[in-house]
Amino acid sequence: MLQPKKQPVVYILCIAAIILHASCKTVKPYQRAYLNDDAMQAGKRPADKLSSAVHTYREGASGGGSGKTSGGCGCN
Amino acid sequence: MKKKYIVFGAVAFSSICGFGQQPVNYVKKKIAKSTIEIVYSQYIQNGDHSAITGGIGTEKLLVYEPEIIINKQVDSLNAYSVDVGIDVITSASLDNIDFVMSSASRVSKRGYLRLGYERTVKQNRNLSFGGSGYFSIESAYTSLGASLSAEYTSPDKSKAFSAELESYFDDLRWGRLNGERPLRLVYPVELRYREWYDEYKRRSFNLNLSYQQTINEKMVIAFFPGASYQFGLLATPYHRVYFKDSSERVENVPDKRFKIPLGVQLNSFIGRRSVLRVYYRFYKDDFGIIAHTLNTEFAMKLTPGWTLTPLLHLYTQTAASFFKPYEQHDPSQQFYTSDYDLSAFNSYEAGIESRFAGIGKGEKGFFCNVITLRYSYYKRSEGLHAHLITLLMDFMNQKRK
Repeated sequence: MLQPKKQPVVYILCIAAIILHASCKTVKPYQRAYLNDDAMQAGKRPADKLSSAVHTYREGASGGGSGKTSGGCGCN
Repeated sequence: MKKKYIVFGAVAFSSICGFGQQPVNYVKKKIAKSTIEIVYSQYIQNGDHSAITGGIGTEKLLVYEPEIIINKQVDSLNAYSVDVGIDVITSASLDNIDFVMSSASRVSKRGYLRLGYERTVKQNRNLSFGGSGYFSIESAYTSLGASLSAEYTSPDKSKAFSAELESYFDDLRWGRLNGERPLRLVYPVELRYREWYDEYKRRSFNLNLSYQQTINEKMVIAFFPGASYQFGLLATPYHRVYFKDSSERVENVPDKRFKIPLGVQLNSFIGRRSVLRVYYRFYKDDFGIIAHTLNTEFAMKLTPGWTLTPLLHLYTQTAASFFKPYEQHDPSQQFYTSDYDLSAFNSYEAGIESRFAGIGKGEKGFFCNVITLRYSYYKRSEGLHAHLITLLMDFMNQKRK
């Protein structure tokens, strides 16, 4: 199992999250034109699917909002 | 005085007229929206560290991947999706399992189907639940999967949470597609003098969480924590391992794997026409792999309908504790593999995406809404390289019921 050793990158992400969260401001519905743009949507997009699958099969890491995590061999 | 009477009379008259008006009957129209995404992808790979031949030999691979994704928004509450596709795989290394070494590259196929359903809660339109079922089959692999998900968006749309639980039940026995019976694990031809594994099933459980927060009218951040647990046969039965003493065995890896990924994505408009998308992921598992991923995309809106996006993926990972190259393993080791997917390496992917939107807008019936063409080049520091090509056509049909 995983060792409970803390990674500095996790601390950095947490601090960044707190700073960003504190600087959030309320966006009114009529100000959402940029936020509603297709390119602003977080997560996977259909055109990324092949890249995501390749990263999952050819690299050890998977998950975390990027690509599939199981359901295929990819063992060629 | 006269003026007062005139104003009073006008107000009284308008009030009487107002009372006499019938309320306007707005007809609530339901909108049914369907999208059909036709995706064609091609993957061309080459390298010299095939795990099938113990970490040496060709990794030449060509995959054609046609796929159709249908999304049907039945009404404002219910939506269905169907995702079906076939991968045609030409692999040089698959020849080396049980066929003549010098034969032409072997062609295999993989078919898959995913059915999904999503329902928005009528009493709380910000909350939705979904579920999906998945099936895939290829010559050496059958997978059954299911997922459940929930999503909540705050009333002011500034925050969104989602949770998804996925499970996959895989069977690694060979023979379903080509009708060979009995179904069995296939080992390299020279290693069939014994059964190397009792287990032929692999089970995976994945928890995918996301939290999205709007920072301002041009910036949004999202966090993707997750956890994944796999157990069963995690080795590939036809991967060879050669030891220091020149002996040969089938790959053997632990039968459990626990993975923790944490992703964060920041999307930001730069000016009025460009979007910078930055994604970083930290990953750790109990095979000993620690990995860092950085993806950046810079979408430039050159015209109202045309977006050009250069993209870059940078990745680095440490090796699994039981990986060693060809003839480097000690025969006394408990676990061993020469699969370079589990080695220490750096990789990059660089490419460009061209997206044309709003092409057939205004036409009746189905119209082509978006065409996306994407090319990228992928390279690992140990030599594997690949070309990735994707063409996506997004058709839409929107009608009032």
